[in-house]
Amino acid sequence: MRKSRYVILLLSLVILQAAVLGQETDHYYNVDTEKKVRGTIQMIVMEPRYKDSSPFLIVILEERKTKEMFNVEISPVRFFSQDFHKGEELEVVGSIYSLDGQKNIIARQIRYRGEIFMLRDKHGFPAWRGGEMTQKKKRKGKRF
Amino acid sequence: MRRLVVYFSAFLVVNAALIANTFSLSFYQNMTDNVFQNRYSERDQLSSLNFYLDKDFSKVSIFTEGNYAYLYDNPGLSYYFHDAGLDYLHALNEKTAFYFSVVGQGAFYRSDYSDFNYLSLHFLGAFKTYLSQTSILKSNYAFEYKGYSYSLFDFISHFLDVSFDTYFQTKTTIKAEVSWGYKYYLHPDASQEAVIEEGQGYRGGRDSYIYIPRTVYEGKAIQIFSANGLIAQGLGGKIGLSLSGMKQWTLSGENPFTSVEEFYVVENPSYDSFSWEGYQVSSQLTILVPWNIELKMGYTRSEKEFPGIESMDLEGNPLGVTRQDTRDVFEARVEKDFSSFSLFLSYFYVNNRSNDPFFDWQGNFFSAGLEWNVFFGGKK
Repeated sequence: MRKSRYVILLLSLVILQAAVLGQETDHYYNVDTEKKVRGTIQMIVMEPRYKDSSPFLIVILEERKTKEMFNVEISPVRFFSQDFHKGEELEVVGSIYSLDGQKNIIARQIRYRGEIFMLRDKHGFPAWRGGEMTQKKKRKGKRF
Repeated sequence: MRRLVVYFSAFLVVNAALIANTFSLSFYQNMTDNVFQNRYSERDQLSSLNFYLDKDFSKVSIFTEGNYAYLYDNPGLSYYFHDAGLDYLHALNEKTAFYFSVVGQGAFYRSDYSDFNYLSLHFLGAFKTYLSQTSILKSNYAFEYKGYSYSLFDFISHFLDVSFDTYFQTKTTIKAEVSWGYKYYLHPDASQEAVIEEGQGYRGGRDSYIYIPRTVYEGKAIQIFSANGLIAQGLGGKIGLSLSGMKQWTLSGENPFTSVEEFYVVENPSYDSFSWEGYQVSSQLTILVPWNIELKMGYTRSEKEFPGIESMDLEGNPLGVTRQDTRDVFEARVEKDFSSFSLFLSYFYVNNRSNDPFFDWQGNFFSAGLEWNVFFGGKK
């Protein structure tokens, strides 16, 4: 009986906390508007995107087929770990939204220089991390 | 009562994971036929379990990571490693930003290698600016303090590098980088106590010299300077090729030990980027094959001289020459990212030729890894 009480109490706390932390903010990743865009980088800027968050690395991408321009939200710290240049090709999978007549993509996955980088999971939750600059090197085994 | 403790512990883990923005678990399995990287090849397997948590607070992120590694044939070398830190990113304008991080680390080895236990503090300051949309200037400064159980290894270091890269419409990237480093041993001559372990154990034929400070040693600091160059070429959207070269000079100082050793996966305090001078050239081919699988293949050749380290014969008699190693490394790596986990396999073949016969060795190194990520919090 006592055991059941503990389990119920703990489960209640976990569920309550998950509900509070799961609240959404501002614009958010919508899997229903997901699209793949392939194009050429036209500009790279750092820009505030969300309240109380570090500025984001934004890549302005010209779609190859339509010549349409997209503002691609990458992540804050990728500004340091990724060296994008104007003229380079980039393929983005992400959620599209429009704001002030501009087409924006919240990037979930990018393909760049023959490598794939996962920026969010399939539900759109961010995969970038604090300490990415210092942590990444020691992961995935030794280099000689 | 015990059950209550178990429930409470489970709750703490779940709770910590929920509070975090990111919670990841990873498992790596490594196999080698030369764990101590010397002529007396010794097989071992290493299993490593890693967890990672992070949480954003406005513009500051805090993160913590734990890693337990177990060696099957040399369990005395097993260790637990933990770090925790915070970082902050500040954009000066839309083309320039600063990044700062402070990380505390601790490594705890089983009793056989408890001299390697350390606590450390790292600070990183990074700067990046776009001089134009195709040219980038970057600079990093790193400070590190490490205090070991065996105080002979204690040091502080400073590292500064500046790099410039530019991209051409031919899909070619050229990068140049210069680095300067300064490592100060806090007490390299504090102890002349020689702890010699007879070589019937893990090292094969020769005694262990790693714990012996040199009796004649001038100065406490090592200063290095290096120049790096890289040229990378994109071939279509799925193939990348890069060639890089590095030359490093020891400007002052030398190694304070009588021997320098590297172990596979396990950090050895006698060896790091300050231990050597010489050059290194590398080439790497990256291919994105069907099903979005990344394939990387590379070759690296290095020639390193270890200032202050005298080569010895297999009985431990000095040969009167400074140790020099020439190393060829072939590597292949396959990686596949899924939405919430990633898998990788890697293989290295290393051929190390040295004028110290103890370090004349070859080795095969296999790794396989599974990384599972769970994300929490808002979707922003």
